[in-house]
Amino acid sequence: MLTSLGEAINLIFSGDHILYQIIGVTLRMTFLSSLLALLIGVPIGSWLGSARFKGRKVLVVINRAFMGLPPVVCGLFCYLLFSGVGPLRGLHLLYTVAGMVIAQILLLTPVSIGMQETYVNGISPKILETTKGLGIGRGKALLLTINESRYQIISIFLFLFGRAMAEVGAVSIVGGAIMFKTNVMTTAIMNYTSMGDFKTALALGVVLLIIGLVVNIIVGLFQWKADR
Amino acid sequence: MIIPALKKTYKGQIALDYPGTEIPDGSIVAICGINGCGKSTLAKILAGIVMPDDGRTPDLGMKVGYLTQAPLAFKMSVRNNLLQNSDRALSKEENKIRADELIRAVGIEALAGKNAQKLSGGETARMALARLLMKKYDLLILDEPTAAVDVKSVELAEKMILNYHNDTGCTVILVTHSASQAERLADRIIYLGEQPWERSLNENNLDRT
Repeated sequence: MLTSLGEAINLIFSGDHILYQIIGVTLRMTFLSSLLALLIGVPIGSWLGSARFKGRKVLVVINRAFMGLPPVVCGLFCYLLFSGVGPLRGLHLLYTVAGMVIAQILLLTPVSIGMQETYVNGISPKILETTKGLGIGRGKALLLTINESRYQIISIFLFLFGRAMAEVGAVSIVGGAIMFKTNVMTTAIMNYTSMGDFKTALALGVVLLIIGLVVNIIVGLFQWKADR
Repeated sequence: MIIPALKKTYKGQIALDYPGTEIPDGSIVAICGINGCGKSTLAKILAGIVMPDDGRTPDLGMKVGYLTQAPLAFKMSVRNNLLQNSDRALSKEENKIRADELIRAVGIEALAGKNAQKLSGGETARMALARLLMKKYDLLILDEPTAAVDVKSVELAEKMILNYHNDTGCTVILVTHSASQAERLADRIIYLGEQPWERSLNENNLDRT
């Protein structure tokens, strides 16, 4: 085990182009999907957290249900949409990074909405009282709410980034783990493990752990700064 | 201006049971009373923040500006906080000049570029008053605007309120615990309690200069 780990670390610094290609695809897919999920989720979450209307709680509960959507179910849903018999077959998204990004967006957006909704729900009474008292319109009040939660938004992005990077179910179904095209770190670890290439699998695992650790340290720093 | 009869209960507990009254336009009315008598609830209902029991926010037919008891400083500089409430009738430059004038008037010019969320309670209250006064309102509702403010700054804040009132001719509803402040500023005092009552003050005694 320790020998394999040592070999894995050597592999990381050896300039192995296959390893770097897998890391590159992973980072590209992860960054795009978490950014888009954030851009969609934050305004919706801010609105849901600050608006007061009948049915708001129902929407919150529905969103929370989607937050727990199993990735494989999401992957299956996207597969059926993009496959040769699906309604979106003409877009040719199956086994592409774009298709994987869409699947990740479907998984991550409810998380983004839910996290922002919970935060805004806590701070919105004071913001609403202040903005309404000043006669500031709803649109500007929403922008001010987003501004008030900017550290939270950065934390959400990093959380989504970490979650997207560690995801395996949906991306393996939609992406197909095609070498040099859609193979990301998690699917590659599965493939290399099944092939008995523990050295490469471990190297990818180490990289995954390091990125996860860095992301969590950054999240912690932002939360610490936000709490001050 | 007519304040209709208003009632508000929270979980069966009566927070406000106000019979209603008429306020002359352009006057300053102080609302006084002991803790929990419903002063802030009345102010919030009139500002449209809280809904009365009948579910209808009173239509005062006026542009209302309201300063809450615990105002929020937006996460930006003091000057930008004021500019969030810019007057659309003025240009960008004019709004900047007005913001700087108001910042000076409340005595926080040294803090103009500072993050407003780093201000003390008293500084935040002064900044919030200046921010409110950026725009012209027909009715100004101030919920204890000087509660957290030191004596010297109370004078500045009161002078600002009177200047604004004189310049715009707006009606002012001032919620305050301080009877002396009510007598210094108001034309009429409404005491809230089990049986609300009102007292008109002799305007000649008021120093409005």
